[in-house]
Amino acid sequence: MSQRIINHPVLGKLDESQTITFTFNDVEYSALQNESIAAALLANGIRTLRHHEESGSPRGIYCNIGHCFECRVTVDGVQGERACLTPLTQGMKVVSGGKLQTDVRDWRANHGK
Amino acid sequence: MSEKDIIICRCEEVTYSELKETARKFQCTPRELKLRTRAGMGYCGGRTCRNAVDSIALESTERNESQISLKYQPPIRPVSFGKLGEVIE
Repeated sequence: MSQRIINHPVLGKLDESQTITFTFNDVEYSALQNESIAAALLANGIRTLRHHEESGSPRGIYCNIGHCFECRVTVDGVQGERACLTPLTQGMKVVSGGKLQTDVRDWRANHGK
Repeated sequence: MSEKDIIICRCEEVTYSELKETARKFQCTPRELKLRTRAGMGYCGGRTCRNAVDSIALESTERNESQISLKYQPPIRPVSFGKLGEVIE
């Protein structure tokens, strides 16, 4: 079903007993209890967690240890949550951020690089 | 992926050639290079690209001790206004 690492030499056996469902951009997915959002989405074959606010380029997991914020999503209405650190609970609503209307970049074009 | 479009600053998508060009054209100090290209002003607070921006700028200018160097600015992690001063009825 997914490429989850079931038997990890250090972490041991993955507890697959409790599965939960959550929604990502209004689509329902299933995952393991307390799995990180980023890992659950990856297991469901989703790597694009958000799009860059300015250029719209797809972004996903980068550091996966909560340092770079590339995986930031909106969880139950709270913005800027790190998908790689947030454990999943039943019925969590995850929404990814997208390109914003007004961009910052033209500011620099007008001021000459 | 030629050398010139390597992304140095992921958050603001500033490329290597953009930084080199700006540094060469304006002989910038690191801080000035940051202000001109936005490299280091992104959501991660410049953690990923700070050193690269520093070294690119210092290729064309001498390290000037009187200049404020690029450093980590508080808050260490992004903080929403809600967390700062949320009004709870």
